[in-house]
Amino acid sequence: MRMIFTKLVRLVVVLFVVTFLSFWFIKLIGGNNDLVAKMIPFASIEEKERVREEIGLNKPFFVQYRNWIGNFVTGDLGQIYTGSGANVASVPVSETIVKRLPVSLELMLYAQLLALAIAIPLGVFTAYRAGSKFDRGSNMAAFGLLALPQFVVALLLATYVGAKWQLLPTQANVDPFPLSPADNWQYMLMPIISLALAQIAIYTRLLRSDMIATLQEDFITTAKAKGIPAKRVLFRHALRPSSLTLLTVAGLNVGALIGGAVVIERIFQVPGIGGLLAASILSQQYLLTQSLVVLIAIFYILLNFFVDILYSVLDPRIRHARAVA
Amino acid sequence: MPAPSHNSGDDIVQSLVADKSHDSAVDEPMLYFAAVTDGPEIANIGKKRKGLGVGAWLSIIWLALLLTSSFAAPFLPIPDPINDVELPRSGGGKAVVIATPPSLDHLFGLDGSGHDVLSRVIWGARNSLLIGIVSVGLGLLVGGVLGNIAGYFKGKIGGFIGSVLDILLAFPQLILALFVVTVLGHTVANVTFALAIVSTPVLARIARASALSWSEREFVLAARAQGATHRRVIWREVLPNVLPAMFSIALLGIAVVIVAEAGLAIIGAGVKPEVVTWGNIIVGGQGELRGAAHIVLAPSLIIFLTVLSLNFLGDVVRARSDVRDSAL
Repeated sequence: MRMIFTKLVRLVVVLFVVTFLSFWFIKLIGGNNDLVAKMIPFASIEEKERVREEIGLNKPFFVQYRNWIGNFVTGDLGQIYTGSGANVASVPVSETIVKRLPVSLELMLYAQLLALAIAIPLGVFTAYRAGSKFDRGSNMAAFGLLALPQFVVALLLATYVGAKWQLLPTQANVDPFPLSPADNWQYMLMPIISLALAQIAIYTRLLRSDMIATLQEDFITTAKAKGIPAKRVLFRHALRPSSLTLLTVAGLNVGALIGGAVVIERIFQVPGIGGLLAASILSQQYLLTQSLVVLIAIFYILLNFFVDILYSVLDPRIRHARAVA
Repeated sequence: MPAPSHNSGDDIVQSLVADKSHDSAVDEPMLYFAAVTDGPEIANIGKKRKGLGVGAWLSIIWLALLLTSSFAAPFLPIPDPINDVELPRSGGGKAVVIATPPSLDHLFGLDGSGHDVLSRVIWGARNSLLIGIVSVGLGLLVGGVLGNIAGYFKGKIGGFIGSVLDILLAFPQLILALFVVTVLGHTVANVTFALAIVSTPVLARIARASALSWSEREFVLAARAQGATHRRVIWREVLPNVLPAMFSIALLGIAVVIVAEAGLAIIGAGVKPEVVTWGNIIVGGQGELRGAAHIVLAPSLIIFLTVLSLNFLGDVVRARSDVRDSAL
């Protein structure tokens, strides 16, 4: 309990610092007047002044930060301003994010599932037959896969499967983008494979090395001596204690993928969060950038926190060692 | 400094476990490195540290070839990557620009504006390698100093540097780089700087972990007992031991940065398009995947081979510097 409390305190401090830094960083690059001038460069002077008033840019820095945090917590993430002259329109940031989040989540989820579905049997088998030809071959393949950047996989798929053989559409820029996986699988398949391929290599190697260590434990020898079939020993007895590192890494990867998928989303024009973030920075919509960066950072930090807790729940040794403290 | 005298078994388990779970929460950026260097390394399969092995030599030859050709690019008998344009003529004598596939005259073919792709890949190597080496070098310098200090002086200083690194690592890396480049401008120097900022905390954390374990060793205590200053101990005792690990990670880091440069270019936030880099060559060919895939595939292949060589060498360096694996 005390461990969780310390971690909670630390979590709050980190969250505070991260939000403050992002807020300050955006101010630093935008400046109060520049920020609006960059968002709507062609708006009339009166409109710019009105927007400045609306965002509260004329207030002191800390008041701005307090208001922003207050709004952020209640779900008001600000507005995206567009238009020129006297016609400045605004759309709530939250509305745009809500539209794109499911696409990103789908991409991450299926990329993880695909990677794990291939990596777990592969990792278990290569550990079971460590040193065999198959093991060495798979080790070599994993090493090669790690050197293959995701965008190269994506470009290869786009070139052959997409452009040359015309099996799948190369660009996912349809509007409105279908949100159900049943309707959008043809747009998502290549991005998912591009993201999953490198993960397979990472997960297989992680699981393999943990599994080899577990297979040398006494309880595995006991299980084998009792005459339990190899398959059951591997998947029932050995897999669970060997999967801790894998779970941790896979959990953290979900967070990393949200930002890391930017390049892949861009290549296939997938309307996800990563693409939105890149677009917001390039079009200098810094209020949107701010909300997205903070959301991603918070998501990532919370994920870290829960993986950490889960880790100690799964491994009794950690739980007991902590309980003594 | 906590006394390193754990006698009860519980204490040891506890400290090991505490260490592990703490690292698990922040290890993600090093995931790539861990995965590359984890497990029985491929470099050593079937061979026990006698000589370097074929793979390592192939990697070294490839990297040397790349470095010399990019240094010598102005003197090589290749067309200029920007000004020399070859226009294949069609029947009517009118110049028509088409991206012709690889041939004996142009080993990697021509791109859509008639530039020789091989020449562009060689000139692109100049910029891409420069960005990779300089940014990781900077990251190594700053990160190495911070990491060694944090690892040696645990306590308050170490804790403070550690939390700063954690916070920096809470932002998605590519996004941070994208952000810095957008603010500062799309030049080679700024992209290098941005990627240096991103690689610093990663390298610092690895240096810290390594320095942390070396600082516990008896020879460090012995040096302190003899009255050596902290600076001398770090410089003469800790740093030489941390260095091989850092060097191995730096090789992998260069590979990551080269890939990141291309990634930034694809997003549209890299070096401005008129500068030839590997990323920009790929972006230039992205619109012609159907008719002229070679424009994209040639630099992709070169990037793959370069990353493979760097990973392999990093693995070899790590295996040779690792005490457990060395010929003790």
